[in-house]
Formats: sequence, structure tokens, C-alpha cells
Amino acid sequence: MNVTFNKRDPVYVQVIRHFKEQIATGTFEPGQEIPSRRELANRLKINPNTAQRAYKEMEEAGLIYTERNLPSKITKDEKILQSVRKELIMEAVDNFVHSVRSINVPVEEVLTLVKEKYESGREGDEA
Amino acid sequence: MIEVNDMKKKFGHKHVLKGVSFTAEKGEITCIIGINGVGKTTILNAIMNLTPLNGGQILIDGDTISKHSYEKITFIPDAIIMQPNMTITEAMQFMADFYDSWNQQRATELLDFFKLKESEKINNLSKGNRAKVNLLLGLALDVDYLLMDEPFSGIDIFSREQIADVFTSHLVEDRGVIITTHEINDIEHLIDKVVLLDEGKVLKQFNSEEVRETEGKSVVDVMREVYQP
Amino acid sequence: MNRFVKLLNFELSRFMKIYLVLMIVTFIVQITGMIVTANSYMAEANKMIYEEGMSQAQFIEQYGAMSFLGFARGLWFTGPIAVCAAALLFYIFMIWYRDWFGKNTFIYRLLMLPTARLNVYLAKAISIVLMVLGFVSVQLIFLPLENSVLKWLVPVDFRADMTVGQIVKWDYLSMLVPQTFTEFILYYGAGFMAVSVLFTAILFERSFKWKGILLGSVYAALSVVIMISPLLAMNFMDQYYLYPLETLGLEVVLGLLVTVMSLWMGNYLLTKKITV
Repeated sequence: MNVTFNKRDPVYVQVIRHFKEQIATGTFEPGQEIPSRRELANRLKINPNTAQRAYKEMEEAGLIYTERNLPSKITKDEKILQSVRKELIMEAVDNFVHSVRSINVPVEEVLTLVKEKYESGREGDEA
Repeated sequence: MIEVNDMKKKFGHKHVLKGVSFTAEKGEITCIIGINGVGKTTILNAIMNLTPLNGGQILIDGDTISKHSYEKITFIPDAIIMQPNMTITEAMQFMADFYDSWNQQRATELLDFFKLKESEKINNLSKGNRAKVNLLLGLALDVDYLLMDEPFSGIDIFSREQIADVFTSHLVEDRGVIITTHEINDIEHLIDKVVLLDEGKVLKQFNSEEVRETEGKSVVDVMREVYQP
Repeated sequence: MNRFVKLLNFELSRFMKIYLVLMIVTFIVQITGMIVTANSYMAEANKMIYEEGMSQAQFIEQYGAMSFLGFARGLWFTGPIAVCAAALLFYIFMIWYRDWFGKNTFIYRLLMLPTARLNVYLAKAISIVLMVLGFVSVQLIFLPLENSVLKWLVPVDFRADMTVGQIVKWDYLSMLVPQTFTEFILYYGAGFMAVSVLFTAILFERSFKWKGILLGSVYAALSVVIMISPLLAMNFMDQYYLYPLETLGLEVVLGLLVTVMSLWMGNYLLTKKITV
């Protein structure tokens, strides 16, 4: 786990976002155990209270769950998992649309470019 | 909780502290920042009754400091405070002899954590390692509060990283920590509370996460506003 | 072991190396001195008797028989004792200042020990007294050894033998080696008082820096005035009302007063006024 945090957003928000990304990409699988608050703080080099706060918020949002005294786990709730994925995609698309719109490019041209770039990028990754 | 109320200190005719008040909670890391001048170290010295005050009051969990407090709160100054001709083992033995709160298991763990050799003489250690021994001797006490004076200054970057790691580890656990620094960059994400000091006064104290959340500002942003209005 | 005993042990052990060196040097110098003195005496005797034709009785009459006291008056014997005394006097100051000076300001640790700060003070003071006692004790062990060296090098006809008991009754040695338990208590009690006055004066300096030097000096002067007040009274008044034994009693009371005052003041400075 190596995350670079920016200094102006609350760290706990950035931690939650990091978790969402890991869930969306499948790095964190449903039902997988997650590190304790102390371990997380240590790995991310953040304040333990901040790690605590992030876990509390995620627990409330249903992203993670804790049974009795066992370590917390990633949720198995499909609906939540889907919504996380969707949320991240929507966020990325929003950002993209925002930047593209600001330079006035027709949507068809953009879509073609996006498709080309996306696919060549993927081949590049595989090669 | 450590409560500092209206702390005043004069050196000769110079007012170094002109009524400093702040609190530091258990389980939180409180950072006293002062960009220039004296005062920070004096505050820590005064909390430990190592220098007399010209006014004000200090309460540790509601009590004024006494000999018993030293099993509850400890201070790690910026220079090592052991006999330089002692080996690390001897220094640890000294602490074990005098403090009921000495935790040998944690001390051993810290030796491991810092990769220190027990048999070495304090005199022969590098600056970074000396700082680590200094930290070890304080951290291995089972105290509720730890005061550290400039734990990151004057040592190499890797030692700095290692020391920063201690703060997020179980070695600090749920204790209350007060550190002083003039350099915040390395540790912005580690601290809970910030006390900004200048000219012997507290200009502002705030929770760093709260300021990020409600105002979208980094600690340095706030410092800029406070120190360079 | 309680913390005071640990502190005392610590204070003693941190000066132990220099202390032992001083003892060994004392022994070597005194023994060497004894050999040199005895040999030169015998050389003189031989020269006078065999070259100048003096009789043994004439020589002893003229030069005196070799006795331990002749040696004890010389620099070979007194020199090392003076060095040890000077070292301890110096260490009365260093035992405090060493904790402030240097990169390792050990005074932080001492003041943050979970024990009354007076224990730090007492441990230092008692270790000074014990070190004096230690020096005197080993000197008492050295004396018969040196006496045997004398007997071994100088034939019986040339010696005026003395027992160790006789030697220690003599002159300044009788000051160092009390003859009775009462004397022991009086001498070392006075020593402890002097140490406590100096310690408190040092703590004045440590607490108030430049102003403290003045305060410390005034404090020391005041202590001296208190101690010699019976003498002063004698000078100012025409008559003196006390018998010698009563004067001694008064001195003891004044000494106790000064000691208690010093300890109280030292404790006050250490807990309320000291700055690391």
C-alpha cells in the first residue's frame, strides 16, 4: 500500500477514496480482511486517529463490516460494491467531461479519440 | 489531559512566554510550532518542572506535577540525556533501576525497530542513532504522556523516516504526545492538533484534519495566514 | 534497593575510576618516597660513618634517628594527600556541574527521576563524605605498609620506631583520623555541613546564574558567620560566659542549624527554582 496524500483534503477522505479504488479494481475482494486501524496508520504513515475515522465512516457507509472482535472485512453486499464502482466511474467521467468541455471539442471526435487511446493503452500494457 | 494555563516566563527582562495556554489530549499528537525564537523548549521544560515559571499553571490529568508524575509523563529533549560513557545496555539498566514504568519488552522491541546494537557506547553512536537511543529510553517507559523536543531536527532523512514511523506504530499506542518543531512538512499527516506560537503567544490552535475538512486548507496554508498576514 | 541507595551507588561509581587512580598514585608515591627517604638517610649514615669516621651514636645525635614522622613531614607523604584533598574539593563542584555541561545534559534525567529531588542532593553529598572516608581508610592501610618498608630498609639502631597508633595521633593526621567516636561524628558532621553549604551555594548559582553567584557567596558567608558567632561574641563582649564544653555544645547546635538550613534551602532550590 503506497499512497501519496495531498495536504488539503482531509486524510480520512483520501483513505476512503483509496479503499474505494482498491475495491473497484478488485484488489480488495469482497469479504477480504483489512488491516487493523494501527496497521493501516503504520502502512500509510498517517495518524492512527485518522485511520480510525476512515474506518468508522466506511463502516457507516457499509463499505466494510466488523463481526464481533474479528478483524474488519470488505463488504460482500453486491449493491454497495456496484455503487462504489459506479461512483468512481462517474467521478472520472465527470472530470473528463469537465476538462474536455472547457476546450470545446465535439463529442464524436472525443469519443473516437478516447476509444483509440484506451485500446492502444491496453495493448501497450499487455506488451 | 495536559492543561497549560497562562504560562509566563521571563529570562532577565525578556518575556519569552506571555501567557501561553493550550491543552493536549491523551491519544492525540499535539504539535507546537514556532517558526522563530525560543519558547517551545521552555514550555516543555516548564511542564516537567525543569525551569520555574513567572506565572501560570500546569495540570496533568488535573494534578500539578510531583515526583510521582515522572512515572506518568516523560520528556525526550533534543540531545541525549544519559552518561555518554554508558553502553546502550547500561543506559537501559539505569532506566530499569529507577523507573517502575520501564517496559523492558518494549525497550527490546525498540532496539530491534531502530536496529541498534546494545553493546555500543552512546559516545560512539552516530547523531541519528543517538537520537534513536534517546527516543528509546523515553518511549520504553509506560507513561501516558510523552513530550519530545524537535525529534526530527539535525538528523539524516532515513533516521527521520524511522522516527516518524514510531508515531504511527503501536510503540506510541494511545498515549498523549506533544512535540515541538519548526518544520512541519514531514509530519503533516501524523499530527492531530497544531499549536502555533509566536513572540511568546499562542496565535492559533486547531485540529489539522478539521481544518482540511472545513476549510480545505493544509497546515502550512494556515501557518502562512497566521504568520504572514 | 530504594532509589536513594541506587543514586548513591551511581554517584560513587561514576567517579570510581579517577578515585581508584588517585588511591593507587598515593600508594605508589608514598612507598617510593619512603624508599627514597630511607635510602638517602642510610647513604648519609654510611658516608658519615665509613668515610668521615663518625660513630653511630654521634651520627644519630647529629642527624637524629630515622622516624616515620620525618617522612610524614615531607612532600613524598603529604603531596599525594594534598592532591587527593584538592581533587575532592574540586569534585564537590564538579559533581554538580558535570551534569549540566557537555552535550549530554544529564541533569534532565536526574531531575526527572521519580524520587524526591532531595535524594539527588543527598546522594551527591554523602558520596563526597564517603569518598573522604575512603581516602582516610586506605591511608590507614598504607601506613603500616610504609612503616614496614622503613623497618626493612633502616637497621633497628638507626630507627625511632612508632606504632600506627602513635603515628595517627600526630599533627594533621590526628585531624584526618579521629581518635574517638565522638570526634569522628564531630569531624565528619562538620565535613558534611561544609559540603551542604557549598552544594546549596552551587544550587544558588545554577538557579539564578550571575545573581546566584552573589546569593551563593552571601549564603556561604552567612553560614560562616553563624559558625563563628560564639567567637565573635567573645571578641565584642568583654566577658565570655561559656565553658569550653558549652562552647562545643553551642557549635554543635549551630552546625546542625546550618546543615538543616542548607538542606532545606537546597531542596527548595532544586524543586522550585532550578533551571536545566
